Amino acid sequence: MGLKKERNLDIQPVATYERQSTRDYAGLLQQLESSDPSKRRWGARDLANYPQAVDPLLGRILVETEHPVREAIFDSLQQIGGPAVVSGLIPLLRNEDAAVRNGAIEVLQAMPEDVAPHIVELLNDSDSDVRIFAIDILQQLAHPQTPQWLLSVLKDETHINVIAAAVDRLAEVGTTDMLSELKALKLRFPDESYLQFAIQTAIDRIEGA
Amino acid sequence: MATSARQQAAQKKITDSEFQRFRDYFYRKTGIQFEESKRYFVDKRLLERMRITGHDSFNSYFTALRFQASGEELQELINVMTVNETYFFREEYQFECLVESVLDEVYSRKKPGEEIKIWSIPSSSGEEPYSIAIYLLEKWPKLDEIDVEIVSSDIDSKVLARCHQGVYSKRSVQHLPSRILAKYFTPLPNNNYQICQDLRDSIKFTQVNLNDVAQTRRYRNFDVIFCRNLLIYFDDASRRRAADVFYDAMNSGGFIFLGHSESMSRISSLFKVRKFPKAMVYQKPLV
Repeated sequence: MGLKKERNLDIQPVATYERQSTRDYAGLLQQLESSDPSKRRWGARDLANYPQAVDPLLGRILVETEHPVREAIFDSLQQIGGPAVVSGLIPLLRNEDAAVRNGAIEVLQAMPEDVAPHIVELLNDSDSDVRIFAIDILQQLAHPQTPQWLLSVLKDETHINVIAAAVDRLAEVGTTDMLSELKALKLRFPDESYLQFAIQTAIDRIEGA
Repeated sequence: MATSARQQAAQKKITDSEFQRFRDYFYRKTGIQFEESKRYFVDKRLLERMRITGHDSFNSYFTALRFQASGEELQELINVMTVNETYFFREEYQFECLVESVLDEVYSRKKPGEEIKIWSIPSSSGEEPYSIAIYLLEKWPKLDEIDVEIVSSDIDSKVLARCHQGVYSKRSVQHLPSRILAKYFTPLPNNNYQICQDLRDSIKFTQVNLNDVAQTRRYRNFDVIFCRNLLIYFDDASRRRAADVFYDAMNSGGFIFLGHSESMSRISSLFKVRKFPKAMVYQKPLV
């Protein structure tokens, strides 16, 4: 017993680990539906190389119960990317399961160009939760229009939680030309102490810059 | 005029508010938190990046940084804000945690005849895998009862060749107790030291690219992974892919050590946090 010597160590050649199922597209789709979660996870990971796998991957998320498999599906969708992935993920923002919603948000945050055409629509969604999720997406989205989208929330939004989320993000990305909107917002909600505090923090950050 | 922009950037100071905005953003992206005491260090590097990228104000630079889709400038900043120096027993409290807590737990789940597998990545110049080996030999008595296999990998074939040679500078071994130095190293001319053949034979060095699924697929059944101060240099997507690789390379209940400024919770929700007396470690949930 002790430390094994290199001559006895054995990183197996790839062939040793070849699975019984084939790794072509049809085989991977089968794996994605396997009863064994580890096979489903590997199927999901390998499908990242197949842009045509967007629909099967999205479909699997809705029924998948194993967290590691879901993570692999979201990672593969992010790797595939493109408008079809974005269009497929947006409906998941309404999913009952927080893990599914968060997974969708994380992938959307990583796809600024493809998400951009949908932001205005999301910020105007009838569901205030979806509007907050849209702001969550903006928190990490590397898109130059982000400050303007957030500013539009200050102007049009009425739901206090949505406004608070936007103000919070503006503390980081706001610019001096947004100060008048922030100050006007303070006057609109004189009795909301949390919002008053958040707005003042944003103003201080921006003014101090 | 470019010169004028450079001069302005050189003269400019980072205000308190600008520092806070940068600090919050950098923390959210990397998990690295700069205290006020690091202010001079951070300001200096920020101003330097502003100068190099031709921005004459923090606002202009921060906007470019924050909304650059490629994340290239953020990566540059991470590179200059983090100092990556490697030496034997670096962040020693993690090796202590390994031998005092983690390995005992792994051992308790092993059946007779099974072995423990440890993966150290990146190898860099080899100080980490050799430190692990020395720590096991010196401070983990159960090594007499079970085989331990240590694999260490790097994307760079040149550093792997250096690992095989096992020759280190005085600076690299400066934190080793003299007894350990005398026991496992041979002094060479020019103040260098070579690690003993027995230890060199105890590590399997392999070349691997963490972003290549075909290459990483064969790394399986590890009980412990050390991946310190590597993920910080990856972009978000690559970090997530690396977390996937580690997850699939580990046995259930396996542990992963990251660098002190790195957080798996920011990368992936696949692992849970385990707090041991000496260190915080991430664990693949037990099935």
